[in-house]
Amino acid sequence: MTRYRVSMDIGGTFTDVVTYDDVAGVFAATKASTTPGNLSEGVLAGLDSVVEQPSDIDFLVHGTTQGLNAFLERRGVPVLLLGTAGVEDSYHIARGPRTRLYDLHYRKPTPLVPRRDVLGIGGRIAADGGELEPLDEDAVRAAAGTVRERGLGAVAIAFLFSYKNPAHELRARDILLEELGDGFTVSVSHEAAKEWREYERTSSAVIEAYTGPVVRSYLEDLEKRLADRGLAVPLHVMQSSGGVLTAESARRRPLQTLLSGPVGGAIACAELSRRTGRPHLIGVDMGGTSFDVSLVVEGEPDVSAEAKLEGLPMLMSIVNIHTVGAGGGSVAWAEAGGLRVGPRSAGARPGPACYGRGGTEPTVTDANLLLGRIDPKGFAGGQMTLDVGAAEAAVTELAAEFGLSPLGMAEGICDVANSTMAQAIRTITVSRGIDPRESALVAFGGAGPMHAVFLARELGIVETIVPSFPGTFSAWGMLQTRIRQDYTEPYFFLDDDLDGADMSAALHRMEAVGLDALAHEGVSDDARGATHAVDVRYAAQEYTLTVPLRDADEPTDPGFVTAVAERFAELHESRYGHANLGAPVEFVTLRTTAFGDLGRPAPQRWPVADSQTFPYEVREVVCGGEGRDTMVVRRDDLLVGHTFAGPAVVVEDTATTVVPPGYTVTVDDIGSLVIREKDAK
Amino acid sequence: MTATVGIDPVTVEILRNALNSAAEDMNATLIRSAYTPIIYEGGDCVVALLDAEHQVLGQSAGLPIFLGNLEACTRATEERFGRDVWQPGDVWILNDSYLGGTHLNDVTIFGPVFVGQTLVGFTASRAHWIDVGSKDPGGSMDSISIFQEGLRLGPQKLVAGGVDERAVIDTISTNVRFPYPTTGDMHAMIACIKMGEKRLQELVERFGLETLELARDEIFRQTELLERAMIAEIPDGVYTAEGVLDNDGVDLDSPIPIRLKITVTGEEIDFDVTESADQTVGPVNCGVSQAVSALRVGYKLLVSPDLPGNGGSFRSMTTQVREGSVLGARSPAACQWYFSHLGLLIDMVARALAPALPDHVAGASHGDSMIILTAGVDPRVDREFVSLEATVGGWGAWNGSDGETALINNVNGSLKDIPIEVHETRYPWRITEYRIRPDSGGAGRWRGGNGVVRTYEAQTDLSVSLWFERSRQPAWGLFGGDDAIGPEVIVNPGRDDERRLLKVNGMRLRKGDVVRCATGGGGGYGDAVERSAQDVRADVLDRNITAGTALTRYGIGEQ
Repeated sequence: MTRYRVSMDIGGTFTDVVTYDDVAGVFAATKASTTPGNLSEGVLAGLDSVVEQPSDIDFLVHGTTQGLNAFLERRGVPVLLLGTAGVEDSYHIARGPRTRLYDLHYRKPTPLVPRRDVLGIGGRIAADGGELEPLDEDAVRAAAGTVRERGLGAVAIAFLFSYKNPAHELRARDILLEELGDGFTVSVSHEAAKEWREYERTSSAVIEAYTGPVVRSYLEDLEKRLADRGLAVPLHVMQSSGGVLTAESARRRPLQTLLSGPVGGAIACAELSRRTGRPHLIGVDMGGTSFDVSLVVEGEPDVSAEAKLEGLPMLMSIVNIHTVGAGGGSVAWAEAGGLRVGPRSAGARPGPACYGRGGTEPTVTDANLLLGRIDPKGFAGGQMTLDVGAAEAAVTELAAEFGLSPLGMAEGICDVANSTMAQAIRTITVSRGIDPRESALVAFGGAGPMHAVFLARELGIVETIVPSFPGTFSAWGMLQTRIRQDYTEPYFFLDDDLDGADMSAALHRMEAVGLDALAHEGVSDDARGATHAVDVRYAAQEYTLTVPLRDADEPTDPGFVTAVAERFAELHESRYGHANLGAPVEFVTLRTTAFGDLGRPAPQRWPVADSQTFPYEVREVVCGGEGRDTMVVRRDDLLVGHTFAGPAVVVEDTATTVVPPGYTVTVDDIGSLVIREKDAK
Repeated sequence: MTATVGIDPVTVEILRNALNSAAEDMNATLIRSAYTPIIYEGGDCVVALLDAEHQVLGQSAGLPIFLGNLEACTRATEERFGRDVWQPGDVWILNDSYLGGTHLNDVTIFGPVFVGQTLVGFTASRAHWIDVGSKDPGGSMDSISIFQEGLRLGPQKLVAGGVDERAVIDTISTNVRFPYPTTGDMHAMIACIKMGEKRLQELVERFGLETLELARDEIFRQTELLERAMIAEIPDGVYTAEGVLDNDGVDLDSPIPIRLKITVTGEEIDFDVTESADQTVGPVNCGVSQAVSALRVGYKLLVSPDLPGNGGSFRSMTTQVREGSVLGARSPAACQWYFSHLGLLIDMVARALAPALPDHVAGASHGDSMIILTAGVDPRVDREFVSLEATVGGWGAWNGSDGETALINNVNGSLKDIPIEVHETRYPWRITEYRIRPDSGGAGRWRGGNGVVRTYEAQTDLSVSLWFERSRQPAWGLFGGDDAIGPEVIVNPGRDDERRLLKVNGMRLRKGDVVRCATGGGGGYGDAVERSAQDVRADVLDRNITAGTALTRYGIGEQ
């Protein structure tokens, strides 16, 4: 009998697995070691530990880092890039900005294709989509020969104005597939990213060609092994946009899976926002070596239409994840008689002094350990015992330089780290036009709950939420998502020149394509739907905002242009702090998103407490410069309705929550810890 | 310099980060609210948080050429009107080239910060406005007096006691060509300084003014200590460099020499540019404060690239600039192209100090903005258009790496080129070529980066203005590295009416005419014969150099 929904999130050290048992209505979480050599092994081992029979699974979603790792480690396949003759260097010119302004030794991000493997192909499409010069088919055929001679593994094709008229890109692909065989990877720019700006579109196609074969062979291997074990349902893969795809679609559009790993946390925050009726959330994911921030605004994850990976751009829908520091591994050091914390990180090796792997410099994790905020025996689910002596030695040595006590130094290190992280969060919210005080803070990842309340205090945030299973929150988020396919279509018109009927027809065409694709993914009629939006800007602006539309028919309404202009002005006001209703606007890109509802697990009701008593120990923890008797509670012992006041430490296998004096904790009906300032309304 | 007494290192570090973060918040507010891409994309702006003595508490990593220049504006205002002029709720504006140092397009908006009745500091922002009413849209190539360059404002109140000075804002609106985006940018700058005001007030209220001042002293002390230690490593001595601009854009036959003398004595460093040319008729002049900023950029690139700037920066640096020179312009000198010699000066600092800091310096870069400005009527939509582009070029090599190819020049921040697809959709041009220009970088053990070739074909009759510089003295190499090849612009190449020129204002072109713009490369580093055969062959394969150059300059033939 099928009864489990399963999500798997592969991290650098652990593969998180979350299961939801439809029958019992219960979530469970586990971790398996990631197997770098063959990731499928770790995935299958993790799966085996929670589900007896793969045939019991009725939904399986997977966040893969295959493509990302291939990119970061430069292990993708060698690519031949075909560009428009005369301007084929656009990819290497890369628009020419310097992003570090005080660097006399500035180098651009290293491109994925060396210039020798870029060929200019004759043929030119004009800005209006008309053909100025036919495609040089002989040159394309010769390029296939180049692929064979040089032993290249994929081709990316990016011709000027292909978003207007893809004929040359499509014909070139046909020729290459004829020459190189149907299975050969040929990525065309108008499919990778159907938007203007040739450098960014070319880069998208190149990244897809470079990582695609790696993602494809991984997914094929994993699907086959799962099928061999009796998995009866299709494997789903998380996309950077926050939606999922079947593995079959992901093999065709591998670019979309590239940044799928960290997205789960943001999707989980959005689900928490829906479940608890809090429209604005700031998600803080802190691990041993990273600190990531994501935003939920008006109940939706903050999504961009463009992202960069190591400086190389990609045009695609992507949930914004801001990496702003090194987390627990940040090193504390002295410079010119001043204290610094980070940005340097001790990383995983040697790691903090307390890891006992040869690190001697004090880190934030060492400071937390010394303050009693981390249980030395329970770290990382008990998989690692921390060396308190080594942490103390490292912190004491630095303390001597400043004439501070070791505990004072340790608390100072945490205070500096917290204020730096809080300021980084504030700058992100300012850039987005949000006041952090209107949000709640959601803390997850192993180290997030340890720092969260201190961050909230710095930011003036009243409420901090630590979800159940904070260590596997991202994997939980993946169970909350829908199938998603994004479509874009350049649609460049000034408001005066817009033909609403034509725009509506274009949206209907995109919707039909999207719904068909979902049918192909096995989504039933009643579970399919589409939303539409249009990118708009004030005439002569460069950047656009995405304005949602009611439906594909809306452009035929008589007052359509005015209605969109008003909606755009509202968005502009909220995003940029001003608007100019009445100024001419330009339409730039149509966007259609097809959604397939997969059903979400019902919220798990947490057991309700029948009394206010629960077991706890008392231990000394340093806060505000003094050791204080602090309640140490096991998370498992906390039930709905329990309330207590800080100072307290809540411990569980994957995380530790620190509650300073002046805060109270309650347990809400889905098991989250809700931590509030005592005097807050 | 012993540590400051009365404050603990944790509080100092929290405040140091908080002040820099406050500046980042100001910058984020400006970029988020700005109307024009030159600010929100090009980053042609800077912000600073100052204390009550006009010392920098925090600043964003904005346009380097504006480094440490905002305090000149608050100081000038105070000198002119007295300290009592600062009143709560006031906002000031200034763009006078002789005070702010730059061209009139660079507008500085600033205001005092009060906590109660106590003046605790200032917040300030500067950004490039797309037009300030000069004789030609956006600015001219051939102005000969500041009075042709647009609206010039001395320190002036925009907001008094929280109330807009409507008459002043009206005057601005009626004197600029694009009042809507310009006043939009003005309000973005006001929002930016208000954000800084709020942050500074919060910090004073939370920590107390006394603690903040103690922390400030300690932060400045740390910065000064680090910079002095770096200067102490430079051997004492006099270091010189000479550079030259092609001309001032008006008298095309007279080069403009720039002369730099750096004297290092222990932990002190002095920059003297007094021997540079007298101010010119054409618009390549700047005010003293801007010359100081450029020297500070050159200093910072070598001495303290990773340190956030504050009032402790530049304390052991002195500057000598001569009033009446191109670097110390007096009224009515034209200042529109105030930056051409400043980009040169920044490269010259590295050239002068090369013997002392051989591992820090780099060969010269292509060196200027390489502007093509076009205007006319687009027949496809029957509307007027103005296009303005800077063209990327090569940067110099250093010990350990080739120079970068196709990069924006050093006074232009993070400006990006205009995509061909955007360009051809917006303007009646076809771009038939955009390529890296092989052999344009100087040869060397480490090779200078290459410039580019960008070729435009007019799709209608229109006008073109050009500002391409550094042909008399293309980017120099260091330690035996070759000099680069300079810029070259050809109109109608290969046709009977072919002509070459680098600067022109409002040249008329006909439909079908072609403009081929080539930018220069960067200088090489070390002798070319020391470059490995493998690197030379890779350069040929990647078309960075031609096979001919591989043979003649590097002595490497095909395998």
